[in-house]
This record gives sequence, C-alpha cells and structure tokens, in this order.
Amino acid sequence: MGLAVERGFEPVILALACNWCSYSGADLAGISRCQYPTNVRIIRVMCSGMVHPNLVIDALTKGADGVVMCGCHPADCHYQDGNLKAERRAEAITLMLQDFGIEEERFKLAWVSASEGPQFAKLMTEFTEQVRRLGPSPYKP
Amino acid sequence: MAARLAEEWFAICGGCEVTILDIGEPLLDLLEKVQIVHMPVLMDHKLYGQTGEKTEMEIPEAEIGLISGGIRSDEHKLLAQEMRRKCKTLIALGSCACYGGIPALANLYTTEELLTKVYRESVTTDKNGFPHEDIPALTDRVYALSEVVKVDLILPGCPTTPEMVAGALTALLEGRPFTLPSKSVCDECPTIREKKAVSALRRRLEPPTFTPGAPLNQMRCFIEQGFLCNGPATRSGCGGSQGTPRCIRAYMPCEGCFGPLSEKANPMVDMMGALSTVGLDPKQIPDRAATFNRFSGAGRLRPAPRR
Repeated sequence: MGLAVERGFEPVILALACNWCSYSGADLAGISRCQYPTNVRIIRVMCSGMVHPNLVIDALTKGADGVVMCGCHPADCHYQDGNLKAERRAEAITLMLQDFGIEEERFKLAWVSASEGPQFAKLMTEFTEQVRRLGPSPYKP
Repeated sequence: MAARLAEEWFAICGGCEVTILDIGEPLLDLLEKVQIVHMPVLMDHKLYGQTGEKTEMEIPEAEIGLISGGIRSDEHKLLAQEMRRKCKTLIALGSCACYGGIPALANLYTTEELLTKVYRESVTTDKNGFPHEDIPALTDRVYALSEVVKVDLILPGCPTTPEMVAGALTALLEGRPFTLPSKSVCDECPTIREKKAVSALRRRLEPPTFTPGAPLNQMRCFIEQGFLCNGPATRSGCGGSQGTPRCIRAYMPCEGCFGPLSEKANPMVDMMGALSTVGLDPKQIPDRAATFNRFSGAGRLRPAPRR
C-alpha cells in the first residue's frame, strides 16, 4: 500500500446505477455541478436487481478496486421488487468476497433516488476515499 | 485397420473405467473397431518394458487416448505428457480429468496441511513420518488434465455416462464431430419453477415433496423447495437420450457432476446468485465453496486466503 500511495494510487471505481433512480440521480449531480471524483465509472443498468453477482466479482477480480451498486429506495423500484432482489444478492456478494480474499469494504450497495444528486456525489466521494485508503485490489497485477 | 486406443488413469476411483464396461452391447461393436494397446486397469503393459529393460518410459502410439483422473503427483504429470505425445486425439474421461473432480476438494488445503492431517493428526493413525521412499512427489494441488496438456475433448460426469462415451468414440471412429450439450441442467429439468422459494433452506437428507407415481413435471423445483440443487450452474447431458437429468429422475437434487457450463464460469458465484434470487438466505448455505465446486475444484478452489 505504501508503494501505491507514493505512485499516487488512483482507484478504479465501478458504479452500477439503475436506469430509473440512481442514473437520473447521477445525471442530476452533473446538471447541478456537484463535484465528485473522476475515479467513478458509471454503467447504467435497467434495474439493480439485474446485477448478477458475477458482474461484481468479475469486476473486482479483473481490475476494479471498488464496486458500488445503486438502486431505487425500497418500495420505489420501477419493477416493484428489483431492489429487494439486489439487496439479497448483495448479501451473497459480501459473503463471497471473503472466499475471494477481497475486503468487504470494496463493495457497497446504496439507495439513490432521482432527486438525490448531491447525495450521489457525496456517496461517490466517500466511497472513493474509503477504497483509496484500502489501496489497490489484491487482484491487481 | 482397427484404431489403436490407449488409456491411463490418475487420481480417480475407477468408476469411469466401469462406465466403459457399462456401455453394454454397443461395446461389442466398438471393440471390433478399436485395438487397446495400453490400459493399466485392464491389461499388463508396463511402462519400462515388460521386464523393466528399458530406460525410458514408453506408451505405444495410438489414435485415441483416454485419460481419467486429475493430476496429483509428478508421475501423473509425466504420464499425461507422454500420453499427449503418443495420442492423436486425447480425451479427458470423467469429471476428475475434466475439472479435478472429488479429489480436487483437497485444493481447499495446502499439501502440507493434508499430509499432516492424514499421517500425524488423524486420531486413528499411528503418528509416523510422511511416506517418502520410492513414491512420486505430490504436486502442489490437484490439476485438471487440461491445465497440464492440451485436451481435445472432455467427457464430464461422475461417472460419465455410457451413452456419452460410446457416442464420442463412435463419432471419432467415423470421423464425425462430437459436441457436448451447452445448456444447463435446469434447461432439461421438467420440474415446476415459479422463481420463488416455498421453504427455507433444507438439509439434503430431508425428503423432497412430491406425489409418488406422479410425473416429474408435477413436482416443484428442488431449489424452490429449499434444497441446494446445482442445476443452474451445471452442464446438462447426463440424461442422455432420455433428456431428464439422472439425479432428478431419482428425485434427488443435482450434485453438479457435469461441471460448469464453460471453462471460465464460476459455479459458486452463479449458484449464490441463483439461490439468493429465489429468496433463500445465503448466510445459511454451509461450506459454499466446496458445495458448489464439488466436482470442479481444479483451478477454482484454493486454501482460504489469509488477511
């Protein structure tokens, strides 16, 4: 980790944002000119419930230092119960991170609504800092 | 001229060799078309000449090579390389050769931990030293055959099915291509799925709910009944021409013996995803790495990482 700090470690953060709430939230953050780290790469998904654990584990073992999964607040899901599915999957993902030897803090599930632009920026800033402190993913070459 | 066939077995129980025998009547037709030149389980053909007169290991040349069992010792490694050199088409027979199989569960521990447990710490064992005279050294873990040499065809299953072995050999002899099914066990399973669990996680020994005598398509999916069924992450094909997977036919959940759907797939992640989606509590799943990689441990299981 010491080395990484010297070289100026910039974590690669993957954000999987649902189309209906979180991605619009990210949009609003942009429109409102909220600043958040450029380390975050957003991928829009139709629903947080479609994010298969494979996507998260693959990302973390193949180059990402942190993954954050964003969905609508409970009971706000466009597909009624997609975010609840995401919650159950997130539990399974957290368990499996141990098996892969990845720190649990590299993964986060968060609820961001379409009107929460500043909150989205705050979440991303905090999560990026959290991952920066952890250093590079153990799978990074 | 009959095609020559060589066979070797490594870390395996011998069940896949029995499967060859289990082909039954079609085996008689097959045997007319092949000439077995090397097969330790069946015939006396020694590696260094019949009286040990040669200095180099030798397996006769063959058109078809069959290898069952994963690679666990240096001897297996050398033999696998020799088989590859001498055989035109090399077939990995059974899940041990394809994915490490049951012996690859040992990959959850280091070789040192294994030896200590077996020869020193086991209650029923006299505490002796490790065996070291005249035996090949263990490899650092169990390897699938394809991790050591190039494999032309895999025939997974624990054991693999007679129909599949006969089909593959016949196809090879007739010069036709042979492909494995690429669907999952669930695709061939007739049980009813509604994508919602009706019960909490149940132990394997508990009986599933079904009406005896009623066809399988009136029974509820094993996972939705709370059983750990490896169907979603397992390759189909065990049912052969009957279609319905072997274990399902016997009212048992899939064990996953046909291995993952692709080389790169990770059955544990797939299964944890599938189980948590239908609403089973992922925390209650015992020993998830071994349960979901029971037959595919080579390259997938490793000692628990220390943090």
